Amino acid sequence: MAMLTVENLEASYGAVRALNGISLDVAEGELVALLGINGVGKSTTLKSIMGVLRPTKGTITFQDKDITGRRPESIVKRGISLVPEGRDIFGTLTVEENLRLGAYVGYKRDRYRADLEEMFTLFPILKERLHQAGGLLSGGEQQMLAIARALMGHPRLLMLDEPSLGLSPTMTDQIFELIVGLKERGSTILLVEQNAERALDIVDRAYLLANGEIEHAGTPDEIKRQVNVASVYFGDETDGDSCEVEQ
Amino acid sequence: MSLVNRLIGFFNRHQTVVLLAVPLIVAGIVINAFGSRLLVDIYTYFCVSLALVYSLQVFMGNSGILAWTQVGFMGIGAYATGILVTPPGVKEMGVPNMYPALVDLSVPILPAIVIAALVTGLVAVIIGYPLMRLNDFASVITLFAMLVVMHTIMTQWDNVTNGPRTFFGLPQWTTWGIALTTALAMLGLAYWFRESGLGLRLRATRDDRHAAAAIGIDMVFTRYLGFVLSAMMAGLVGGVWSLYITSFSPKAFYMGEMFVLLSMLVIGGSGGVSGATIGAVMVTLSRELLRQLESIINNAHVLSFEVFGLTELVMAVLMVVVLVWRPAGIIGGQELRLPRLGKKKGPAEANGAAS
Amino acid sequence: MIDLEFVINTLSLGSLYALLALGLVLVYGILRLVNFAYGEYVMIAGYAIFLSATYLNAPWYLTLVLGVFAAIVVSYLTEIIAFRPVRTKSVDALIVTSFAVSIFLQNVVLIAVSPRAKPVPLPSFFSETVEVAGGTVPVRNLLVIVVTAVLLIALSLLMKKTVVGMAMRAAADKFTTTRLMGVPANVVISTAFVLSGLLAGVAAIFWVSRSASVDPLTGTGPLLIAFICVVMGGMHSTIGAVVGGYVYGLVFNVLSLTLPASMVSYRDAFMFGLVVLFLLFRPAGIIKGGYTEERVG
Repeated sequence: MAMLTVENLEASYGAVRALNGISLDVAEGELVALLGINGVGKSTTLKSIMGVLRPTKGTITFQDKDITGRRPESIVKRGISLVPEGRDIFGTLTVEENLRLGAYVGYKRDRYRADLEEMFTLFPILKERLHQAGGLLSGGEQQMLAIARALMGHPRLLMLDEPSLGLSPTMTDQIFELIVGLKERGSTILLVEQNAERALDIVDRAYLLANGEIEHAGTPDEIKRQVNVASVYFGDETDGDSCEVEQ
Repeated sequence: MSLVNRLIGFFNRHQTVVLLAVPLIVAGIVINAFGSRLLVDIYTYFCVSLALVYSLQVFMGNSGILAWTQVGFMGIGAYATGILVTPPGVKEMGVPNMYPALVDLSVPILPAIVIAALVTGLVAVIIGYPLMRLNDFASVITLFAMLVVMHTIMTQWDNVTNGPRTFFGLPQWTTWGIALTTALAMLGLAYWFRESGLGLRLRATRDDRHAAAAIGIDMVFTRYLGFVLSAMMAGLVGGVWSLYITSFSPKAFYMGEMFVLLSMLVIGGSGGVSGATIGAVMVTLSRELLRQLESIINNAHVLSFEVFGLTELVMAVLMVVVLVWRPAGIIGGQELRLPRLGKKKGPAEANGAAS
Repeated sequence: MIDLEFVINTLSLGSLYALLALGLVLVYGILRLVNFAYGEYVMIAGYAIFLSATYLNAPWYLTLVLGVFAAIVVSYLTEIIAFRPVRTKSVDALIVTSFAVSIFLQNVVLIAVSPRAKPVPLPSFFSETVEVAGGTVPVRNLLVIVVTAVLLIALSLLMKKTVVGMAMRAAADKFTTTRLMGVPANVVISTAFVLSGLLAGVAAIFWVSRSASVDPLTGTGPLLIAFICVVMGGMHSTIGAVVGGYVYGLVFNVLSLTLPASMVSYRDAFMFGLVVLFLLFRPAGIIKGGYTEERVG
């Protein structure tokens, strides 16, 4: 029984069509990846689910309820949290204030204290920097803060938009380890990544996007068999026709 | 290609100007032949407003910056023309404190208008450069403050403007024909600017500042040139206007007038001359109707008080309604073109490339 | 020897300006909206005081409360009726909308009350004077300093210690991300407008008390002052706006003393000129707010 179902999603930025009929689903407890090169529609998909972008066609169902085109505030209340691309932490607020805002929906004083302690176990660095402004943290620390902030809301579905973007290889390792750890704790995660190789190592299933459409779907093995994953980086897998130069 | 074909091609590309100019000219001829004196007056005033909207469109439409100073520049043009054209005897009487050097000035009308435009341009040259360097929000505020400064100077500088009192004595030189000609000239200029390289670069800075910088567009200088041109046009229109209305005071170049001007461009669509024209037509019509309504209400003594200001109030509401309905204006950024008749060419045919 | 009278008068003027600037920047910080109708909130407050004193015969404290209340209500209503529908369609159109709202409010008052100035009765102790170190100072000057200090402290506490304040600061930082936290965008914005109205209303009391009258165009002065102070202070910073207010007050008083009599009417022009010069060299304002405000050239 799928927790999240997306059917034939279409979305545009003005006149530019970004999504051309996306269908995917995520079951409870799964770690699913949305892969593809830059600009192919991955972030757009997450933003559409989150209500930041209004889809032009298609439906999004979460726990049997239609959430297509609803406002972000209400989608958060239903239990979906997004860790945006580029972290998007509040640079002028302290680490603690960032976390407090993450717990905005359904805030309970005691549970908040307990949640904070749990975050400190997962991300000890945050306890160290609890009263520092978010903007002073390093890229990796900000990523951890962004994830912790999303977790504070006890989401049923956690969506991560390019968590490894701009991070060093060591930091990327840590983040991926963290994601695996979260999955093992029972979280349901939808992961958007450019780093297809690394993502396929840890996920249950994956979707490969190209030009606003799903080109391949399945388990990591199935995908690796269908697709030359390395070429995903270089993009020539996505376009069947090669460009001929006019003589 | 034969000359006829070249001409047809030229008009086809620039059909917007034709589509706008022809109805204007026809309307003018018809109104002058059959319309009442009042109607001719309305039409003449409309043409001058139209010319002013075009001047605003040149800068604000292409750069996206709210040019509050536009009515101020119009005022500079009006006062300059007034000082140059009004006979010295009248000036001495009307503006008792005027500098003797200015009193003695007497210039024929056409050169006076040109000089007025140049003077306005000079002011824009001086104050414009630092303003163009500011980011969007600081520039909105600073241009607004600049308008207030202009107004303050106009109301305080007795020796030039007669202070807050009326400046009068100009001959009535502007006929409906002259107003129409001015409007057409400004239309041509605004259209040319928009389609020119400079206009294109300016529009690029409006749409995406960083991309524009990345391809080497000097944003400050491009804006600056647009600002100065727009100011000179406003100065010229101010001159033409002053010779129609023959007397005016600083009140004519402040918030109320700026709002009317702005509403014309915003309601129609600031992206091009078509929007400017449509907006001017709509606003002029609405205002005239509302003015009639106002005097009907006042004369009929239906209410216990007089309703002055109803026109402005309704126009304000109208403006917000249009903005909610169509934020980019009725026409938006496109220019008017005739709909294409006949089969549409497919992309392959249009490109002429063999697949 | 510092002239204490001058200091107090400058502080009082600066306090008034700081209130005005703060009210404007609260909305700007979150919505990036330069609210041209802001001056009209001050004007409406003035009219509310006049109307309640003249037609309701209300005691002075009630008229002042009604004045502030009127500013809050008008501010909130303009958000709901005009700004909210427009901002869902286009952010660029907001400035022009605020100008339209400004014109609307001016003409409503013009029609509903009168184009002529109306007297605003204020409590008599406002104009009483107090002896201070050899000079005399109007009571209202001392009052505005105290009231402003109290309001500033209260607002700081609100912003720092409450969730609402935290949400507003977050919204000023990154608006969309704040919505991703489940914080209702409309509530944050409405709160900002309410606070903006509150500050405008309180400022109105002291603004109107200087001339003891109000007319439809009363709002232009406060608007301009708020504009200049906010721009000087660095547009994203609430602290900057307040500092800008006090600095501008100082500049005003200094110019009033030093300008030759013939030029006094140009004082406003001078001040704007100074500000433009200031901006040339420091477009980011006095205090950088922790955000990058782009300079174009």
